[in-house]
Amino acid sequence: MKNKIVALLLLLLFAVSMVMAQGTQKDKILPYPIHQKQLPNGLNVVTVPYNSPGIAAFYIVVRAGSREEVEKGKTGFAHFFEHMMFRGTDKYSKEAYGDIMKEMGAAANANTSIDRTVYHMTGNADMLDKMFEIEADRFQNLKYSVHDFKTEAGAVKGEYTKNSASPYQQLYEKLVSTAFTKHTYAHTTMGFFEDVVDMPNQYDYSLTFFDRFYRPEYTTIVVVGDVTPDKVNTLAQQYFGNWKPGSYKPNIATEPKQTATRYAHVPQQGFPPYLTLAFKGPAFSDKGKDLPALSILSTILFSQNSELYRKLVVQEQKARFIGGGPQFSRDPNLISFSASVVNANDLQYVKDEMMRVLNDAKTKPIDAKKIEETKTRIKYSFAMSMDSPDAIANSLAQYIWLSGNPESINNMYAVFDTITAKDLMDAAKKYISPATLTVGTIAPAEKSPVK
Amino acid sequence: MKRIAAYIVPVALFAASCTKQPQASQQTTDTATTTTETAPITFDANTAFGPNKIVELQNPQSNKVIIKLMFKNGSMSDPKGKEGLTYTTAQMIANSGTKNMTITQIKDKIYPWAAGYGAGTDKEVTTFTFVVHRDFLNDFYPIVRGLMLEPAFAEDDFKRVISNQQNFVDQVIRASSDEEYSKKALEDLLFRGTNYQHVVEGTSASVKNITLEDVKNHWRNAFTRNNVMIGVAGNYSADFLNKLKADVAQLSEVTPKIPAAGQPNKPNGVQVEIIKKNDALGSAIFTGTPMPVTRSADDFAALMVANSFLGEHRKSYGKLYDKIRTTRSMNYGDYSYIEWYDNGGSFQLPNPGVPRTSNYFALWIRPVQIGEGLKQQYPELKDITVGHAHFALRLAMREVDNLIKNGMTQAEFELTRKFLRSYMKLYAQTEEKQLGFMMDSRFYGREDYLKEMYQLLANLTVDQVNQAVKKYWDIQNMFVTIVTDDSEAEPLKQALLSNTPSPMSYSNLVKEGLPKEVLAEDDIIANYKLNVKDVKIVDSKDTFK
Repeated sequence: MKNKIVALLLLLLFAVSMVMAQGTQKDKILPYPIHQKQLPNGLNVVTVPYNSPGIAAFYIVVRAGSREEVEKGKTGFAHFFEHMMFRGTDKYSKEAYGDIMKEMGAAANANTSIDRTVYHMTGNADMLDKMFEIEADRFQNLKYSVHDFKTEAGAVKGEYTKNSASPYQQLYEKLVSTAFTKHTYAHTTMGFFEDVVDMPNQYDYSLTFFDRFYRPEYTTIVVVGDVTPDKVNTLAQQYFGNWKPGSYKPNIATEPKQTATRYAHVPQQGFPPYLTLAFKGPAFSDKGKDLPALSILSTILFSQNSELYRKLVVQEQKARFIGGGPQFSRDPNLISFSASVVNANDLQYVKDEMMRVLNDAKTKPIDAKKIEETKTRIKYSFAMSMDSPDAIANSLAQYIWLSGNPESINNMYAVFDTITAKDLMDAAKKYISPATLTVGTIAPAEKSPVK
Repeated sequence: MKRIAAYIVPVALFAASCTKQPQASQQTTDTATTTTETAPITFDANTAFGPNKIVELQNPQSNKVIIKLMFKNGSMSDPKGKEGLTYTTAQMIANSGTKNMTITQIKDKIYPWAAGYGAGTDKEVTTFTFVVHRDFLNDFYPIVRGLMLEPAFAEDDFKRVISNQQNFVDQVIRASSDEEYSKKALEDLLFRGTNYQHVVEGTSASVKNITLEDVKNHWRNAFTRNNVMIGVAGNYSADFLNKLKADVAQLSEVTPKIPAAGQPNKPNGVQVEIIKKNDALGSAIFTGTPMPVTRSADDFAALMVANSFLGEHRKSYGKLYDKIRTTRSMNYGDYSYIEWYDNGGSFQLPNPGVPRTSNYFALWIRPVQIGEGLKQQYPELKDITVGHAHFALRLAMREVDNLIKNGMTQAEFELTRKFLRSYMKLYAQTEEKQLGFMMDSRFYGREDYLKEMYQLLANLTVDQVNQAVKKYWDIQNMFVTIVTDDSEAEPLKQALLSNTPSPMSYSNLVKEGLPKEVLAEDDIIANYKLNVKDVKIVDSKDTFK
C-alpha cells in the first residue's frame, strides 16, 4: 500500500472526463462552497462541508512528483519517498503509527504521480483531531533509520516487478522516454529500473528530498465531509502552524521543440496490437481555452458515439476500442489517442483513419449542437460523480496540484462553457502535427509496423 | 462505470453472478471432495430471487437514480462446451441495442445525459447496472426497459462481442497481470472438474462454440422473472418503482434450473502448479484451501477478525505484510482472504456484486524476485539457484500455522475488531455501493450484512476467533499457483519437491542492518517443512484450455 503509482496511461484517457465537470451552485461546477485559508507559513487549508454523517475525507497534497526529479539517477524518488513517509517518527514509530491507523479504522493510503504526491485518509469525522496530529507529526518530524530506508527500497522494486508484466506499462515507459528528451516527464513516476535498484544507496539524498519538498509552501490540506471550516482551520493552525517554510525551487528543463515524428515500439507476441498517437500539448491553465477545447474535441472525435468509433469499432470491427485526450499536467504534456486493434496488419490503416479525423478537425467546423451536447455530458457526468467525500476531495486535489488553487475546478468549467466550433479548429491546428507526434505501438513485429 | 474495461476489452465491470440455467447438469457431483465436516449455517441463495424480490434505497436528496437487476445466473451455469455463454449473453444486453434502437442510437441518445449502463458476470450472479441523473430518468427508462424486454441481439454486435471475448481468453488474461493470472489459475486448480473452474469469460475452445442462437436461448431460459432481484436507489418516485416492478415481471416466465455451485476440491497435501512464461520479472503466488463458511454464517465474523489480523487487503497492519514486505522488503504486499475479492490489484475497498456460495481461504503473495533477477542485481547473490518464492511461501504458510496453533491475543483481537467495526462502514460510501452490498446481503440470507456484522463483531470473543481459525483453516492441504519466468520454474519445482532449505537471499545492503531476531526467524522459516506432495510445471500457453 502507500504507494501505488497512478496508472498514467489510464489517466491520459480519463483525464478528459474527470476534468471537466460542473454542478449547480450558481455558475460553479462544484455545487458546494470551497472554504480556503492560508496559514502564515504558506500552508493552504481547504474545507468543503458535505452531508456525509460521521465521515470525513482528509487529504494532503504535496506538489512534488516525478516532475521534480531533476537529478540524474534519482528517477522514481518522489514515489519512493512516499513509501518512506510510513516509516515513523520519534513520537510515533512505524508500529505505533500503524496501530493508531488501525484503531481509527480509516481507509488510508498515498499515491504519487508526475506532478504530486497525495496522502489520504477517509474515516470517522470524530477522529479528525487525531488525523491532524499524526499527519502533522510525520510531515514535520519524519525519522527513519538507514536500514529502514534500504529495506523499503525492496518494496518499490516489488512494485515495479508487479507492474512490469503489462505490455501497456512497457509501452508507456517507452513512449514518454521517446517523446521527452530533456523534461522530467521523460521518466515515469515509477522511475527507471536501474534507479529503482540503486535506491537503497540514496539515504542522504532522501534527507535532502524531505527537506526540499515536505514544506508548507508545497502542501495543501483538504478536508471534505461532516466538518466545519472553523474546526478544520483551528486544527490546522494547532498542528501545522509551526511548520517551517523552505526555499527550494527545482529547475526543471524545458522540453525542446520536437520537429519530426518519433516512434516507440514494444515487440510482443500473443498480445492484442495497440496503437497510441501522442502529440505535444499545452500545460494546464484554468483560463486558457486550449485544454478545454482539446478535451471537447477528443470526446467528440473518439468517444463511443463518435463517427470514427462507429466506423472502426462497430461497423468494420478493425478496432476493439478507441479513445483518448489531453493529459492535464503542470508543464506541457501529451495529447494521446489510442486504439486496441484486432489485426496487426490494420495498425497502419487505423493510424491513417485517426489522423484523417484529426486533420479534418482543423478545417471542418463541428456542429454546434454536438458541442453543446458534449458540454452537457461533461456537466452531468461531473454532477453524478460527486457522490462521496472521497470523490470530492479527489477532484479538488487534482486542481490543487495543477494550479495550487482548488477554485480552478470552477474556473476551468467556466471556460468549458465558452468553447466554440472555432476554438476546436484552432486547437486542432495548433497541436495536431506530425512534427510533434510520437507513435507508440505494441505488435508482434520487431520494429514499429506503422509509418 | 466503464473506464478501464475499455483497455482489456472484455473485462467485466460490474461483476456479479449466480447460477442456474437449464442445461448445466445438475451438479454437486462432479465436484470432488468438499471440506465440510461441520455444517455451518448455509442459506439457499435462490430464495432471494424471484417475483417481488426487491431492495430499495430511496433518497430524495440524491441527484441520480441507480437501478440494478441481479440475476442468479453466472458462469457456473454455462453449458458444458459453451463456457462463457452467460458472460456473452450479459455483454450482448450491454452492447447490442433494443428492438427499436440500435446500440449506436442508444449511445447517441444518452450521450448528453452522461447516463451509463453495464453488465457484470461472476460465478453465481450477473448484474446489470443503470445510472442516470434524475433529470433524465423518464427519458432513459424506456431504454432500460427495451434492453431487458426487447433486446436486439444483432448479428453484427454479436460478432464484435464474441471477438473481444475470444481475444480476452486467448491473449489478454495471460499477458496483462501475472497476479490476476495466478489468482485465476488458483481457481482453475481448486475447482477443477466443476462448474466453478472456468474463468467467467470461458476458455479458448469453448468461446468458439457459442452462437447467437445460444445467447438468445440463454437469455430466455436463464434471465427471467423467477431469478431476478431488483435494486433501486436514489431519487425516484413510488410510481417509477411500480412501473419498474411491472416491467420486470414481464421477463421470461421460465423457471431456470439452477445447478448447485461446484465445491472446491480438497488438496492432497500442498499441491503446486508453476506456470512458466517468457520474460517474467517475478514470481506471482496465490494459494488457497476450501473453507465452507460464507457471510451467511455467524462464524464469518470470527474469521473476519482473524483474516484482518493475518492479512487485511491492501493494509500494512497484517502479519503477512509486516513480515514479508515491511521487515524483509521482498515485494509490494501480502494479504489473506476469506472470500472472493474482485480485482484486488485495482481496488483498496471491496466491491459488491460478486456473492458466492462456494468458498475458500486464500493467501496472495505479490510478485517476489526470481533467481535470475537477483543474480543480475547483486554480485553477492551470483551463486543462488532460485529466487524468493520458496521462502515467501514458507513464511506465509508458517504465519497461518502459527495463528492456528497459538491464536490471537486478547489485545490483538480487541484492536483488530475495533478496526473492522469502523472500517466496514467505508465499504458503502456511495449510493451505488450501498445498494450493491444490500443486494449481496440478500443473497446470503441477511437483511444488511454490514450492519449485522457490526453487531456480530461486538458480541465476539477472542476464543471464538481462535476456535474458528482452528476449525476452518488448514495449511497442510493447500493448492498453490505460481506464475513465473521460465528460468525459475524448474529450480523452484525441485526446491519445493525436496523441501530444500531456502535461506533468504538478501542483498548485502539489507542484510547488514537486519535485527538478530529477524535473522533467527529466517533460519526457522528457511527450514520450515511444507507438506508438498506434488509440483507440476505448466506452460502458459497450456493454461485455461
